[in-house]
Amino acid sequence: MGSTSTKIKLRTSDQKVFEVEKAVAVHVIHVHSVSGDILSKILDYCKKHVNSAAGKEDISPEELYEWDANFVKVDQNTLFDLILAANCLKIESLLDLTCQTEIRTTFNIKNDYTIEAEEAVRRENKWAFDMLGV
Amino acid sequence: MHKKMAFSFPDEVLEHVFSFIQSDKDRNAVSMVCKSWYEIERWCRRKVFVGNCYAVSPRMVIRRFPEFRSIELKGKPHFADFNLVPDGWGGYVFPWIAEMAGAYPWLEEIRLKRMVVTDESLELIAKSFKNFKVLVLSSCEGFSTDGLAAIAASCKNLKELDLRDCEVDDLSAHWLSHFPETYTSLVSLNISCLGSDEASFSALERLVRRCTNLKTLRLNRAVPLDKIANILRHAPQLVEFGTGTYTADVRPDVYSDLAGVLSSCKELKSLSGFWDVIPDYLPAIYPVCSKLTSLNLSYATIQSPDLIKLVSHCPNLQRLLVLDYIEDSGLEVLASSCKDLQELRVFPSDPFGAEPNVSLTEQGLVAVSLGCPKLQSVLYFCRRMSNEALVTIARSRPNFTRFRLCIIEPKTADYLTLEPLDVGFGAIVQYCKDLRRLSLSGLLTDRVFEYIGTYAKKLEMLSVAFAGDSDLGLHHVLSGCESLRKLEIRDCPFGDKALLANAAKLETMRSLWMSSCAVSFAACKLLGQKMPRLNVEVIDERGPPDSRPENCPVDKLYIYRSIAGPRFDMPPFVWTMDEDSGLRLS
Repeated sequence: MGSTSTKIKLRTSDQKVFEVEKAVAVHVIHVHSVSGDILSKILDYCKKHVNSAAGKEDISPEELYEWDANFVKVDQNTLFDLILAANCLKIESLLDLTCQTEIRTTFNIKNDYTIEAEEAVRRENKWAFDMLGV
Repeated sequence: MHKKMAFSFPDEVLEHVFSFIQSDKDRNAVSMVCKSWYEIERWCRRKVFVGNCYAVSPRMVIRRFPEFRSIELKGKPHFADFNLVPDGWGGYVFPWIAEMAGAYPWLEEIRLKRMVVTDESLELIAKSFKNFKVLVLSSCEGFSTDGLAAIAASCKNLKELDLRDCEVDDLSAHWLSHFPETYTSLVSLNISCLGSDEASFSALERLVRRCTNLKTLRLNRAVPLDKIANILRHAPQLVEFGTGTYTADVRPDVYSDLAGVLSSCKELKSLSGFWDVIPDYLPAIYPVCSKLTSLNLSYATIQSPDLIKLVSHCPNLQRLLVLDYIEDSGLEVLASSCKDLQELRVFPSDPFGAEPNVSLTEQGLVAVSLGCPKLQSVLYFCRRMSNEALVTIARSRPNFTRFRLCIIEPKTADYLTLEPLDVGFGAIVQYCKDLRRLSLSGLLTDRVFEYIGTYAKKLEMLSVAFAGDSDLGLHHVLSGCESLRKLEIRDCPFGDKALLANAAKLETMRSLWMSSCAVSFAACKLLGQKMPRLNVEVIDERGPPDSRPENCPVDKLYIYRSIAGPRFDMPPFVWTMDEDSGLRLS
């Protein structure tokens, strides 16, 4: 129900044009505030996660976690731009990842959660202690 | 801002910083940063919110947050309000009280919604928590005035006792006398749901007189109008007041007493009550009307002209609850007088009547939507609607966050075109981008669900009844509504396909309720098998589901995610579908 193989075009603030599969970019996007470099990184992130979720790429959760950790090993300016872009493009998982990384970087904190422990806490937070906006 | 700070804060500093973080969402985020932040946060979280009492166990909550002071718990699904959840289903608070009583004596606040609260629970609260301050019971049942007496007698520091819309066994009005004469800390008392028996007026009067910090007082129907003046005289500092019966023989002395004492209540912002109101006594409240921000007239059976007069005196009204006696004409006056209106609820005076008894139509809602720029929350019962009206409403009021429309007769078409109301509700979800809660009604096809799935990206709660044509409708909602957390459906032709195809979605939601739909027992079993972290509960008063063919639709289905596993307090008519795809009998 719904095609995922259509391509859409994105034009960035510095006039670069990207062509991506619809599954990777599921929202109507305003990218005029996002530079080509940042958008390129974001598309990498989205592609990786969509492919991994769809089974198109053979990657274990641990390997994806590792990939994410490397993804955010950038200078703080870039990290900051990624946060703004993830927020603007409404990519919640990337926003979570980059914000946590930013907090950890700013406060010099090492993320000592194992992937299972982090998942367990996340589940407990959302399933038990989550409030609606209504 | 981009400087790197190469030191780490000591724990006490972090704890102090965290104390400014009140929202659960933020605290949850804080807990994810690293293990020590998780530790610090969990020791200093003082308010815990549990949206589904069966999603987590009391022991798990206590283990995670050893020092909370305030807990809010919700029990039964929302459709319990419409008698769709049979008695005995569950939602018992006692196990929670018992665990908390053992764990810490310093609990101060308990807020419960749609839970079964027994006198035993109330007695245990009274006995266990020495500094108990706040008890808010919303739509709860199972207790009597004996339990309240225990609370009154023991909780010396009680500030708030709020029983809203509860079903209470009114054994004796004298429970109020159990508040000791030395007790003075009451700030908020809401007993509006208590019965009509003779109340202990002198005890009430004395209580009000000595509790000089009382800000909220909502009386019950038993308090007659001529007693109100005596009570109010001692509480001119009240901010919120609910009258009892607002009727009496028209006597000038009663009237002037009342008018006098009301006008000395300079802080009054909210009024409610007004049972059996007679128009002659209404002008007594006019002096306070200009300051009113909230007015609940949902028990006031007065006609449009009197309602219009009243509402015209309230230019600062932000919240109005009223019966449909207000009619379209009254809502037009509301639209021109009350420019600060944010929330409107219009209830039906005669929901079971075959013919309309009042002239309240879609026009009233259109008028308010056009006239009140801050209107964001609506609950509206009416008998006719049109796509044209809904589109106008959507275009003029894109700031709706809650839109609940209840066209009384199921499957009512657009009265102008006789078409379904798909396009109208489609406009609502398209224009109101911040819509978080939506209730549908009227004649609706799968189309409306396609609109909802496409546009309602912030929608968290959706209520559906007598709508849709096929599984496609349900599929649109489950696959499209990214923020969906609560979905409740009754009497719709939704079955196995959409549910099973979107099984994973159910783990991202708090709960799904489906009753009188077309979901088979086989599908329920399969779902329970596939999704072990969901509690898939079949509710069927006809007897065990396996006594009927597997493809038979179940009567009611309640599915919710849980980290506590299946519950063990189910009545005989509830079965949980577990991983072994067998039945677990209670």
